[in-house]
Parts: sequence; structure tokens; C-alpha cells
Amino acid sequence: MKNLLRIALSLLVIGVALSAVTLSAYAQDDPRRPVTDDEVNAVSKKLYCPVCENITLDTCGTLACAQWREEVRLLLSEGNTPEQVIENFVARFGDRVVGTPVDPTLRALSLVTPWLLSGLVLLGTAIIFLRWRKEGGAPTPKASAAQPSASASVRSLETYRARIEADLAARR
Amino acid sequence: MTELRMAEDLQVERAPSKRGANFLIVLAAAILASMALIFGLGLRHQQRTQPTEGAAPLFTLKTLNGEEIALESLRGKVVVLNFWASWCGPCRDEAAELEAAWQQYKDKGVVFLGIAYTDTERNAQAYLKEYGITYPNGLDYQTRISALYRISGVPETFIIDRDGQISEFVMMPLKRPQLSAMIERALAKGAQP
Repeated sequence: MKNLLRIALSLLVIGVALSAVTLSAYAQDDPRRPVTDDEVNAVSKKLYCPVCENITLDTCGTLACAQWREEVRLLLSEGNTPEQVIENFVARFGDRVVGTPVDPTLRALSLVTPWLLSGLVLLGTAIIFLRWRKEGGAPTPKASAAQPSASASVRSLETYRARIEADLAARR
Repeated sequence: MTELRMAEDLQVERAPSKRGANFLIVLAAAILASMALIFGLGLRHQQRTQPTEGAAPLFTLKTLNGEEIALESLRGKVVVLNFWASWCGPCRDEAAELEAAWQQYKDKGVVFLGIAYTDTERNAQAYLKEYGITYPNGLDYQTRISALYRISGVPETFIIDRDGQISEFVMMPLKRPQLSAMIERALAKGAQP
């Protein structure tokens, strides 16, 4: 009976040891690593929802985004870097997932154009301001054509005053 | 005397920079014109809707089984082109109906093509397995096909007649009788096989 118990115990120990070795080997074979929600969100905030407008994956509550976040997690767990995950998404779903074109020329155009336009406007305004300061800094009389009209106005004022005084004298 | 001085002051002003003012006007006009052009193009792009007639845009679909199917190679057959996604609830409502219609028409010169919009292969495969879908399905790589058909959501279905012309377009989940009627109408017109 004692021998039987010993054999059973030995078999149990061997069994446990074998299963531990097997599990350990399996764990080493599985290349996936646990990925935290923070890691998933860090990548997700750079990707846009395929259904909603201008909403990133990390803040979107649709099932589509939930599935994409899971895909991000899976790719990260397989050892992909965040950049590789984004490249993978762009390759599968197109440029729209990152909001800006991935093509270097188009990307440069889309990013540079607003700054270029703003720069041109500022430059134009600066040029005009400087010219205005240079040419119109000192007060200058208006066109010479204005002069006769000024004296004409003075003359008419004097005539008017003379008439009033004449009228007043006539009343006295 | 004071009045006279005032009158003179009124007549005196700073000389405007005419060239500068002209330059500013031209610059402002150019910027406004560019903005109007960009806005107009954007508006035009937004207003473009799904094609409801005319030639169906051509594409080649790589199915989830690795097969490549060119739409052009299906001339002479009626094509039911269905855009769907595994994350789309209404698509699930019509999945079984589409498969049933496919079983009914697959030997009558009708081809069904399913295009998974912004879906992952894993989820798409699981969806097809869940609903027992047997007609060819593939992922819309870089959303090129959905862009060609200018879809605004899923599910959306196009019926293409034997001549490669869009016969009908529906942007809601389909029921079998409705789908059958659409297929019958497409079969009735166009070149005979």
C-alpha cells in the first residue's frame, strides 16, 4: 500500500513537472506580449475613426473603432512598433486613417500651403505698411486742384458776410 | 481767420500709396479667389453621391480566399455588389438574406460580390463564417473601391446589369423579396448571355 502511494506521488510530481516544462515552452513560443491600454491609446490617438468625422480612435465609441483598437493591440502584441502599426493601417485602409496624406509631396503641400499663404499675406501687409510710411509719412497738401476750391470757398464766405452786413445796415 | 485755417486743414491729408493699395487689393482678391476655389472644390466633392446609372466603375477585388476577380470579366452577368462591414449592425440584418438570394441565383447568370469596408481580415472572416456566406468577398484595400462608388456608409448595394451599367442602388439593408425583384429587373434588361 505504501509503495503504491509512493508510486502515485512520484507520478504526480513527474506529471506536474512535465506540464510546467510544457507550459513554459509554450509561453516562450508565443511571441505575443501583453499590451497595456495606454500603449493602445497612444497609437489610437494618431488614427482616425473610419465612420465618424475628425474623431480619433482613442475617443470614439463605435464598434468599428473598438475593433480597430483591438487590431492595434494585436499588432503591438506581435512586436510591431507604433510606427509600424500606423504604416500597416495606412497600407490597408488608406491615407484617411491618419488625417493627412502619407505621400511626401502631398503631405508637404497640405502642411506648407496654409503657412505659405499666411506668410504671403503678412509680407504683403508689411510691404504696404513700409511704403505708406515712406511715401505718406509727412503731411502733404492735397492735389493742387484743391487750392482754387479753398480760395473760392473763402471768397464765397466773404461775399456772404458782406451781404448779411448790408442787409443789417439796411434794417437799421 | 480760425475758420479759414480749419478749411485749409480739411483740404490737407496724407498722400495714399496708390501702388501699395493696388497691390493689397490684388493680393486680397487672389487669396479670396483661392479660398473660394478650395471651398467650391470641397463642396463639389462633398456633393458627389453614389452613381445610380451609367457604367459601373471598374475594379479588381482580391477575395479573402486569394482569388482575384475583375469586374470587367463579369460582363454578360448581373452583378450584385454589396458593401458591408463586420462592425455594421444593419449589415448583419441582411447577411442571411444576401446568402439566400445568392443560393437562389448563382446558377442563373448572377454573381454576388461582397466588399468589406474598412474591416480587418480577422473580423471579416469571422463575420462570413458566422453567417455562412459562400459568395466571393474581399477587403477594400485602401478603400479604393468604396471611393470609386462614393459610398457614404454601409450597407450599400449596387446592381450592375449584363452590360456593366448600374441598374439600381440601395443604401439600406435588403430583404430577399426586394433583392430578388431588383435582380429580376436587371436580368430582364441588357444583353442576353
